[in-house]
Amino acid sequence: MSNHNIASACTSEQCRRGLSAKTAMRWIDAQGNRCDYSFGDLETQSNRFANALASLAIGEGDIVFTFLPKMPEQFFAFLGTLKTRAVCGTLFANFGEEALLDRLGDSGAVCLVTRKSLYKKVARIRERLPALKYVILVDGDDDPANGVIGYARVMAEAASDYGVQPTGADAPSVLHYTSGSTGKPKGVLHRHGSLASQIATSQTVLGLKEDDVYWCTADQGWVTGTSYGIIGPWALGVTQLQYGGGYEAQTWMDLLEREEVNVWYSAPTALRMLMREEESIFASAKLPRLRTIFSVGEPLNPEVIAWSRRLLRHDIYDTWFQTETGAIMISNRPGLEIRPGSMGKPCDGIEPAVLADDGSVQPDGEQGNLCLKTGWPSMFVTYLNNQSVYGSKFKNGWYYTGDTARRDADGYFWFMGRSDDVINTAGHLISPFEVESALLEVEEVAESGVIGAPDDLLFEKVVAYVQLHQRFQPSRELELKIRLHVSNRASSIATPQEIVFCDGIPKNKSGKIMRRVLKARYLGLDAGDTSTLEI
Amino acid sequence: MTTLETLTQVFRMVFDDETLQIGPQTTANDVDGWDSLSHVNLITAIEGKFAIRFSQKELLKQRNVGNLIADIDAKLSPSQAK
Repeated sequence: MSNHNIASACTSEQCRRGLSAKTAMRWIDAQGNRCDYSFGDLETQSNRFANALASLAIGEGDIVFTFLPKMPEQFFAFLGTLKTRAVCGTLFANFGEEALLDRLGDSGAVCLVTRKSLYKKVARIRERLPALKYVILVDGDDDPANGVIGYARVMAEAASDYGVQPTGADAPSVLHYTSGSTGKPKGVLHRHGSLASQIATSQTVLGLKEDDVYWCTADQGWVTGTSYGIIGPWALGVTQLQYGGGYEAQTWMDLLEREEVNVWYSAPTALRMLMREEESIFASAKLPRLRTIFSVGEPLNPEVIAWSRRLLRHDIYDTWFQTETGAIMISNRPGLEIRPGSMGKPCDGIEPAVLADDGSVQPDGEQGNLCLKTGWPSMFVTYLNNQSVYGSKFKNGWYYTGDTARRDADGYFWFMGRSDDVINTAGHLISPFEVESALLEVEEVAESGVIGAPDDLLFEKVVAYVQLHQRFQPSRELELKIRLHVSNRASSIATPQEIVFCDGIPKNKSGKIMRRVLKARYLGLDAGDTSTLEI
Repeated sequence: MTTLETLTQVFRMVFDDETLQIGPQTTANDVDGWDSLSHVNLITAIEGKFAIRFSQKELLKQRNVGNLIADIDAKLSPSQAK
């Protein structure tokens, strides 16, 4: 069996190519302190972590999660876990208790790598996670009674050599949870063979070259952060800048300039935030090394491209993919004329189509379901514990993405919206069901309905219609209480940007929340056929 | 109770952490969960707790807890009373 192991490709293979001493990761923390890690360091640290897991009898078939902000230990843990052939899931550091419970509980994760400040949330739900045997604290000490292990101790005791067992292309690798319009988040499971797509698109779309310095701003909690913030670039021997601080326009420009970044991959919301800053920040930036800027997560407004051309003197290339696709499927890219606002054209080997509901191909210009011909290397292999929903995504050899689009006569694809109620806010998919569930936990809330509404900054914002129990009245304090509850139970991203107090939530006769009616109400549009409405 | 002590209570409520400690030099990078979205919750909570309103200009200039305290104290000082 040939070895398709993703972590080996990112570390051992680079060392074999003679890149042991080359900087793999330029780590800059939030205070601006810099530390370089070579590919040799990545190899050693991930080997140690793999040995640490092995000492706990964790390996093939197990699931390990990281729950960390961007920090070096996250990368060592991710790669080390994959070396053992266990599955590695990554959790966004702003997840609240309910979000953590859903993901750690559903997956049956046996080990979590986190830090003390974040572990407080996990400790509150740990009794409800019987499969979770070990918690490794990157800044903590051993606490055997509670299955807590100190990272420093276990890494110090672990050997720096690790023999990765042959890993087949179909061996499971990375796990990301994603939201649907109904039910709990679903665990999107990928395979080690996805590496082929991630490498190919890092070359043909991002255009990465071995001497490049590359910066992907995505958090490792999301698929972009693993596919293009870890896997693709390191499998090509490219130096990655990893920055531990948050958004700050001047700092970001300073990083691009000082670190001589060649390729920058970010998100429309971040780019729109930059657009709102003082122009002097960009006018004074000297970016002779910057070759290309890419964007992912939501459609990129033509205004952002125009702004970048004017102030950064660069185009921004929009790319499209999903957690399920594992790698970029459709994109704008150098060498292809940009049509501002479009998704671009299919990547090599990818066959998208716009299909009508009956499965027929829509003529150019007509909106329909955006589908992909199955079989690309990074196609997800299942929704963990939810094979029936996985199966429902495929029909006659096509994967139905849930997005709607149209194709123009020149073969460019144009995103039109979602075919379900999922909300895309700042590039993250939010399930209205999850937010509604959190809202109903608030004592004062009787009913709720959650929709996405257009937003200049976030693409879509979360809007919550809330009906209170009769004995309660809307107030500013209650609004804050509701916002904080959702933020701390689900995540800050899921927090309603707007709360509309109302007398009733429209439902059909079977009790289903009629979100399209709420959306029409919010937008001041005709709600269409409301004959089945109960309220 | 000092402004910092009251502010600490607000931070603990917003970020759901009863042990959270803050000081004048604390920034968003020092507090897990303090991102641009939770910042809206934080500002709303601070405004409610102190019964004040920050201007857009003040919000844009606030870089750390010390800036927040200075703006709060300025609004609560008798000379600002109209």
